[in-house]
Amino acid sequence: MNSFFRMRRVTKEFGGLKAVSDFSLAIERSELVGLIGPNGAGKTTVFNMITGRLRPTMGDIFWKGKNITRLHTHLIAAGGIARTFQNIKLFGDMSVLENVMVSFHSSIDSWFLSAMLGLPKHRREEKRIREQSIAYLEEAGLAHLCFEKAQNLPYGLQRKLEITRALATGPDLLLLDEPAAGMNPMEKIELASFVTQVRERRGIAILLIEHDMKFVMSICERIKVMDYGLSIAEGSPDQIRSDPEVIRAYLGGPGDTASG
Amino acid sequence: MSAKWKFCLNIAALSALFGLLYLFSRYGSGYQIRILTNIAIFITLAVSYNLVNGVCGLLHLGPNGFIAVGAYTSALLSMTPAEKELNFILEHLVWPISVIHVPFLVSLIAAGAVAALFAFVISFPVLRVRGDYLAIVTFGFGEVVRVLCNACQSVTNGPLGLKGLHPYTNLWWSWGVAVLAVIVIQRLIDSNYGLAMKAIREDETAAMAMGVDPSRRLLVAFMVSAFFSGVAGGLLAHLITTISPGVFTFVLTFNLLIMIVVGGLGSTTGAIIGAVLFTWGGEALRIVERPMDIGIFTIPGIPGMRMVIFSLILMLVILFARNGILGRWELNWDFLASKFARLRRTDTPL
Amino acid sequence: MRTTLLLQQLINGVSLGSLYALIAIGYTMVYGILRLINFAHGDLLMVSPYAAIYGIALFSLPWFLTFPLAIISTGAIGILLDRAAYKPLRQAPRISLLISAIGASFLMENLALVIVGGVPKPFPRPDFFNHVIRAGHLHIQVLTIYSPLITLVLVFGLLYIVFKTRVGKAMRAASWDFEATRLMGINLDSIIALTFLLGSSLAAAGGIMWAMKYPQINPFMGVIPGLKAFIAAVLGGIGNIVGAVIGGFLLGVFEILIVALLPGLADYRDAFAFLLLIGILLFRPTGIMGERSAH
Repeated sequence: MNSFFRMRRVTKEFGGLKAVSDFSLAIERSELVGLIGPNGAGKTTVFNMITGRLRPTMGDIFWKGKNITRLHTHLIAAGGIARTFQNIKLFGDMSVLENVMVSFHSSIDSWFLSAMLGLPKHRREEKRIREQSIAYLEEAGLAHLCFEKAQNLPYGLQRKLEITRALATGPDLLLLDEPAAGMNPMEKIELASFVTQVRERRGIAILLIEHDMKFVMSICERIKVMDYGLSIAEGSPDQIRSDPEVIRAYLGGPGDTASG
Repeated sequence: MSAKWKFCLNIAALSALFGLLYLFSRYGSGYQIRILTNIAIFITLAVSYNLVNGVCGLLHLGPNGFIAVGAYTSALLSMTPAEKELNFILEHLVWPISVIHVPFLVSLIAAGAVAALFAFVISFPVLRVRGDYLAIVTFGFGEVVRVLCNACQSVTNGPLGLKGLHPYTNLWWSWGVAVLAVIVIQRLIDSNYGLAMKAIREDETAAMAMGVDPSRRLLVAFMVSAFFSGVAGGLLAHLITTISPGVFTFVLTFNLLIMIVVGGLGSTTGAIIGAVLFTWGGEALRIVERPMDIGIFTIPGIPGMRMVIFSLILMLVILFARNGILGRWELNWDFLASKFARLRRTDTPL
Repeated sequence: MRTTLLLQQLINGVSLGSLYALIAIGYTMVYGILRLINFAHGDLLMVSPYAAIYGIALFSLPWFLTFPLAIISTGAIGILLDRAAYKPLRQAPRISLLISAIGASFLMENLALVIVGGVPKPFPRPDFFNHVIRAGHLHIQVLTIYSPLITLVLVFGLLYIVFKTRVGKAMRAASWDFEATRLMGINLDSIIALTFLLGSSLAAAGGIMWAMKYPQINPFMGVIPGLKAFIAAVLGGIGNIVGAVIGGFLLGVFEILIVALLPGLADYRDAFAFLLLIGILLFRPTGIMGERSAH
């Protein structure tokens, strides 16, 4: 496999129901790909299979040459694939800073014993983690809220925090599940520039699920469309906009659906 | 508050504590010393129990099993072969335990190690499940240990238990272990390991997606907690000098549960407060179980009343004040400093 | 000779199992609707015999009146238990509910201790239950035969209610989807109360039969049988009524046969039940009837 990331003919069945059928997708380094489709099309199921939360019934997923289809979630995360969730899953009772610091956990070298004994090696690591976390938060413009409880943040900032937290794991592929949901137009513009900046600055590939067509069309280079678990179209934003299958899937409406 | 300040304050507090203990050891009554020793042991137990239940968010109902394992290990190792002969009248103690005799400190460390080993072994079934199932499996483990203590005559002397243990445990041992436990466990909680555990408590799925391996992290908490429970068990054994399976029933777990819930599930200082209140209060409440003379009336003692009151307290707390006294806050120097600062700010200027 | 012994033990096992089954049903019904392990359920086993004794002592009623009255009043106590200890916590995290259940259990046991004292009381066994049947080399207490029969009658009655009546349908709906049932205008509180009433009454009936079988009652007599009944419920598939019954009978037979075939391990009797539990949770957490996956 010479693709950076590749899903090959992945299927997920629940009992008799095929949530995802014969789904294939390839992503290259630094690509910004959108995954769209009506509700229930199976998009989040695809995400869950990539990150190991669900096991595919059939098919394979390849990442940097390795087959990760049956790998545990935390190993996939440590291997460079990070994600955000449709319903924000922050560590609510923990502070903003602590939320980001968790992402460094898999990179810790020192033993828990050295943590308990307060050894210098551990102290140095803790310091490094703290500094790097603050750096990430500064980039996202959240550093002034370091010590606030994550659940106290306004909605838009919570989403941003979730993305920052995922970025702190140092991924090469970032999965964003409806990052613009519930945002007003101003926030969406800001989010769009944030996402493109992340891609530019760090060269991370991004796969994002979204319902807001304008958002998707404006930043994605390539778009894949799903309906009823099947992939029905793939191409550039212009191609997708005029694809008859896509138009039919969205019940005859033009590409511009109202933000969801 | 800077780290240097905190360090100085900690040293000062510890010195005050040990100074106080010294005074009690010289001038206090036997009764007072015993209560203080008890308090220290339960502080160790509560703080290590809080690590699993409060910080990790698991409902672990089997600490009595680990305490029993530690108690028996420590007792069996610290008794001389002659003393063991005296105890094991029905069935002989199995070799090589029958001939081993080690100093108290070694027996305590062994107690912790064996308990941690037990934790490691049962972690395989326990950490595969969560929630109610985890509660039941750990509860089952506690019961299995108790039954084994009863049944394995040649190792534990069965229902007769072990008598005549040397009263090694004193103020210094118990408080020394308590202070060590609090420092070490709090360091773990404050480290990135502790963050991972809290993350698992908050949202395990998200924690996994950020690279945290729940089984390995929870195992650390489980084993550390078991270690200190085992050591505390050893201390307990050499305080009450007689142990039997009946000492380590689910009631012991229930008491620990009350301590950490009332103190605040997730707070180390809360666990300490809960332990102090409960141990001291438990002693104070003993009076309701003995007949009381008030003037010309004699109120008869009511056995079981203590547990009724404790159960009521637990239920009232969980129903109306779920966060306990401290919730997840810690009563540390930063907290006190901020309160002090607020007080100073509200002083009316002259 | 050995076969008669085996047969005798088998009958004992079935009889014991029928009692476990009655108690297990209560656990499974409450778990099905509230997803709660009602730790205090086993203690209801203890409440009905005491209620019966006091009924006989205070009101001098014949057993066939006191027993049903004791059973119904224990059922009412079950509803009270829910109202006091579980209802206020409907929206609370699960750990709070479990702690409340444990607290309620200890409270009931020690309250009983305070009220009736720690000395075990003898339980009167009415003559109706006192015969011994002899068949060849078999000696069987008539109670041993009656227990499974009474159990089956009660179970069929319950299954009728659950599967053939409207309230039963509401109960089943509530155990599938709590919120949706509420949205359909069904009074969830009444359904929950009914669940507790039925489950607790069955446990109470089991308690009275237990007291007749082992006629020394004490405030803590419900602890171990309650735990074993819970294990039986898990064995059968927690949330599934038929599973609970099957689990109960299986556990009873298993327990008696193990002790009969390997008398040297009699001391480990209780531990076996827990090891069985751990085994189920490891290998087949959904139990025999496997209706729900382990959440």
